[in-house]
Formats: sequence, C-alpha cells, structure tokens
Amino acid sequence: MMVNKKEHFIKTIDEYKKIIYKIVNSYCQNKEDRKDLEQEIIIHLWNSFDNYNSDYKYSTWMYRIALNVAISFYRKEKKWSMKNDFYNEESIFKIEEDTNEEQTELNYHLKLLQEFIHNLNELNKALMLLYLEEKSYEEISEILGITKTNVATKISRIKLKLKKEFQNI
Amino acid sequence: MEARELKKILAAYDTKLDEKLSLNVASLKSINLDKSERSTQSILKYRIIEIVIFSLLAIFIGNYIARNWSQTHLAMSGIIVGVFTLIALSGSIGQVTLLQQIDFAKPTVDIRKKIELVNTHGLLFIKLMFLSTPIWWSYVVVGSDYLFNIDLYNNMDSNFVLKYLIINSLLIIPMVWFLNKLTYKNLNVKWVRKTIGFFVGTKTMKALEFLKDIEEFER
Repeated sequence: MMVNKKEHFIKTIDEYKKIIYKIVNSYCQNKEDRKDLEQEIIIHLWNSFDNYNSDYKYSTWMYRIALNVAISFYRKEKKWSMKNDFYNEESIFKIEEDTNEEQTELNYHLKLLQEFIHNLNELNKALMLLYLEEKSYEEISEILGITKTNVATKISRIKLKLKKEFQNI
Repeated sequence: MEARELKKILAAYDTKLDEKLSLNVASLKSINLDKSERSTQSILKYRIIEIVIFSLLAIFIGNYIARNWSQTHLAMSGIIVGVFTLIALSGSIGQVTLLQQIDFAKPTVDIRKKIELVNTHGLLFIKLMFLSTPIWWSYVVVGSDYLFNIDLYNNMDSNFVLKYLIINSLLIIPMVWFLNKLTYKNLNVKWVRKTIGFFVGTKTMKALEFLKDIEEFER
C-alpha cells in the first residue's frame, strides 16, 4: 500500500516537476538553498498527499503548497519547516546543459526576467509567476486566495510594470 | 519588449524544460519522507504551556476573588488581575486555534496571514504590559496580600488612594487609544513604527511589516 502511495507520489511529482523547479528558481538564487527548498517542498507535498482535495486540480494543490513553503523559506522562518534527519546532498532535478546560440539568447532573456522577479516582494513574486504561467484568473484566485477582480487589477499593473522594465530590450 | 513577447520566451523556456529537465528519482527516493515532523509542533507545545499557566492563574485568581469578596478593595484588585489573565489566556487559545488552521495546501494569502499573526504574538504581551501601567497597584495589592499577608490598602492614606484612582482612571482612555494605534495597520506612522520597533524584536517587526504587505496585496 505504502509502496503504491510512494510510486503514485513520485509519478505526480514527475508530472508537475516544472512547477516546483520554477518556484524554487524564483525564490532562491543560491544553489545550496535551492536544494534545501526543493526537499522542503517535497516533504510538505508528501505530508499533504493523503489530504489532497480533488475539488481542485493537482496543479492548484501543488502551487499552493510550493508557494507557501517557498515564502516561508525565503523569509527564513524555520519554525514552519519540516524536521527531517536526512537531507540529501543531491538535487531532485537533473537538467542538461545547453550550448547552442539560440539557447544562449533565451538564457539571457530569462536571466533578466528572473532578476526582475527576484526583486519583487514575496506575494507579487507568486502572482507574477502564475501570470507568466498563463494561469486563469480563477486558478490564480484559488491559489493565492484573493478575488478574481483583484487578480485582474493586479495583472494589468504587472503588464505595465513588465512593459516599463523591458522597454529597452 | 511586450508582455506577449515575454510569454513567448517563457514558452520557449517551457519547451526547453520539457526536453532537458528530469526528475532525479534516486535522489527523491532517498529522502526519508516518512520520518518528517512539523516544526510547528514545538510552537504548539509552548502555546499549550502558556494556556496551562494562564488557566492555573485564572483558577487561582477566581479563588482569591471568592475568598475576599467581602473586602471590596481586594476583590476589585483580584478582578482587575483576573481580567488581564483572561485576556492573555484567550490570546494563547487564539494562537493554538490559528496554529491548527495552518495548512500549506490552503490559499497563500490566508495562510500567510495566520502565520504572521502567530509570529506577532509577542505584541499582545507588550500591549498588556502597557495597559497594566494605570492599574499596576492591583498586582501589588494581590501579591502582597497573598504572599506576605499584608493588606497595603489599609496602610495607605485615603487622600493618596483617591488621587491615585482619579489620575490612573484618566490615564486609561489615552492608554487604550495609544494601544489601538500600535498595530501593523499604522506602521506608516513614524512614532508607531518606532515604538513597536523599540519593544518587539526584529522577527515580530518583520511579521508586522508582512501583515501590512498582505493588506496592501489584498486591496
């Protein structure tokens, strides 16, 4: 039973790995911190796995947990973390390096965007991530817990901010 | 660059991740997932200890009031100390309720608010300390009577007691106004910020600032 649960969990994580990867990269600049945050998110997801509410999408559930953990981690609030004796030295993600020119240009733009996201406060960072992920207003509202009207207002402000920030590129 | 173009870049990034990002299953399996425990358990233990202490104090004060009911000054002092004990007790019960509602699978803003309210618990005691200043004599009267069996009131000059009661009663209104100002909602007011900053630690201050950020985010 437990083996099945773990396999199902790993399968779910694999399916939605990009969510965790992107959140970790947005909230942590340091490589070591990223590994800690990845594990922290995984442990929280595992602990909530049995209580997953099927009224929501898996992605909504995952975004909520990963963002809540990332914000606490970013704010260095150890008391909200999970105690675990074993911490892995390795990242839970593997990513192949790229070398071609097209990718270099993509990386340059991504770096600029990531720097821009890093400078936002914790909640705006979450909103920006969800907006760039093209989540619907309804899903953003469910993940963050603000009204759809508020999401719409904030997104129009984000668009202006992005336009201003990237106008010379 | 327009938002549309940025989204194109992100779509390209997504495609890149689809091709190049994979899960390190061996690493994931090696995390001892079943042996993790919520760190919130330790805060919960502290808050439960607070509840036990304040409950015992409330029982003691209740008993003290009942025993001294015929002596108005002792009963009144006991009631005042009792009210403060009950405020502290309800604060700690509120904290335990909040802690039990913290579930990271719930919406971010709701959870952050609860977390920061737990983080600002220290401010309640600072407020109670301030609010106690006009009636500090209640603690002294109850303490000296219970511990040393000395009834201070009987040894005081009645004129002094009257003046003291008038002055301190008048102090209660500005004190309540002052304490109402000491919230995260007024952190933009310089003196409020400085006063809170002086009495609470950096962590509480950070939590209060974040509550203010949350409020702005919800607007």
